[in-house]
Amino acid sequence: MISWLASRCAAFGPRPALAGAFGVVSFAQLAGLIDDARRSLAALGLVQPTTFAVIGGHGPAATAWLLALAEAGHFAVPLSGNAAEHPAKLAEVNVQWVVATDGLGGNLLPRMDEPPAHALLRALAARGAAGLVLFSSGTSGRPKAMVQDFGAMLATYESRRPNQLPVLALLGFDHIGGLNTLFGTLAVGALLVVPADRSVAAVVAAIARHRVAVLPASPTFLNLLLAAETPGVELASLRVITYGTEPMPESLLLRLRAAFPRVRFIQTFGTSETGIYRTESPDVDSTFLRLDDPGLEWKVVADELWLRSRTQIAGYLNDSNERFTADGWFRTGDRVETRADGAIRILGRLGEQINVGGEKLMPVEVEAVVLAVPGVLDCRVAGTPSALTGQTVTVDVVLAAGQDEEVVRSALRSACRSQLAPHKVPTKVRFVAAVAGERLKKTR
Amino acid sequence: MLTRPEALQLVLHRLAALGRELGKPELERADEQTRLFGETAQLDSIGLVTLIADLEEDIRRATGRDVVLADEKAMSRLTSPFRRAGLLADHIVATLGAMPPA
Repeated sequence: MISWLASRCAAFGPRPALAGAFGVVSFAQLAGLIDDARRSLAALGLVQPTTFAVIGGHGPAATAWLLALAEAGHFAVPLSGNAAEHPAKLAEVNVQWVVATDGLGGNLLPRMDEPPAHALLRALAARGAAGLVLFSSGTSGRPKAMVQDFGAMLATYESRRPNQLPVLALLGFDHIGGLNTLFGTLAVGALLVVPADRSVAAVVAAIARHRVAVLPASPTFLNLLLAAETPGVELASLRVITYGTEPMPESLLLRLRAAFPRVRFIQTFGTSETGIYRTESPDVDSTFLRLDDPGLEWKVVADELWLRSRTQIAGYLNDSNERFTADGWFRTGDRVETRADGAIRILGRLGEQINVGGEKLMPVEVEAVVLAVPGVLDCRVAGTPSALTGQTVTVDVVLAAGQDEEVVRSALRSACRSQLAPHKVPTKVRFVAAVAGERLKKTR
Repeated sequence: MLTRPEALQLVLHRLAALGRELGKPELERADEQTRLFGETAQLDSIGLVTLIADLEEDIRRATGRDVVLADEKAMSRLTSPFRRAGLLADHIVATLGAMPPA
């Protein structure tokens, strides 16, 4: 069975599909690579659904293999990032074949000859459905393998209206956000531009070279982009910036809107477990949003956002499914604020709440104020133990060049005192060379 | 290591800076006897945590040692080291003195 997305690739013909270190590849060439992958699969003579790891980035060969595996009803495990993590992940999912891709080429390597044993995979196989397995960073440090119906996931992109706005691939190939960008861009016939790496310099170079119009990015990356003070002409092609994966401090959104007056900012929201959804923003300068996707139900239970979607994962292969209720709701672990008109705002992860002597706060409220202090390049707020107040608010600050620590420390506290309740004012201000990880990194 | 006069100097310097930030001129004129925490004192619990955090940073810069001034032991002392500026200076000297050599 030829999938609708593979047919669409063939139909888009000479239009550019992917650009990166591998050159510029047209949709017709991509369709040819899908054919190659189909032939390689057929040559294996597999009689039952089989698990394949596809290792690579957003390259043509890796993309072609994912689509060929989906239409043949196999299970695909996209992997990229640190190769040292791959062996544990391959073992966790009992991968039988490895496709090692590099740009246009791919090598098929056997790994083990055991049929998929897990009940979730067998259930997909029983109804002829392909599977997509993604990993999330588990809270315990052991990655959680999530399995979903690959065909159902791809089907959500079929009704997208065609356009030719080039899109940048910034989120990972092994990440729901990165795959959402990939499939969403292919489905509409637009060009996906893959930067050499995820540094600001490489991303700006890719945007300028391919006239990228749509940039899906995290608030952390957008803050770095502002700090780099890139000449506007380099980024003149940008029309839309979508942001997600972590809460956006409103002060950062205001600075971004001032720096990119012609760009529309769209907040995306999603989880690896439920898929990615676009949102409506009632006010341009606020991060309140509405979830009004027909495929997504939501509710707020005790300040926690619960989601139920058509495309949510079937479950975890290697973890308990306690975050799913019996009637199919997924407890996101995201703490949200609900406004009278029904709009919601993501405040952060439930576990990130800081409790200062019984009074509570979320890091993002403080980060929004600290980021706006002159001389502060970036910051992270966390709770640290205190013998006096249980927890206390600690902020790690990255200073701009030539700034005096004492001056910024004092300005930072003054700004927080004038804008925040007393218990939210950071007591510990540490100056660091770089802050770790993404702002309010989600641990799913 | 810090001498008692150096430790007191750090405390008074920090109190003055905090006084400017908080708009409390009494703290800018602080001395040995200035009450820090407790009834009729100048600082609330957040203010005291702030003072201690800044002092720990000052001590790290002055001596290269990472000290924890507010721990369960200090909190449970009969005479709180956080009651007066002079007692806090004593506490700094004693805490540094009790640390194993670097």
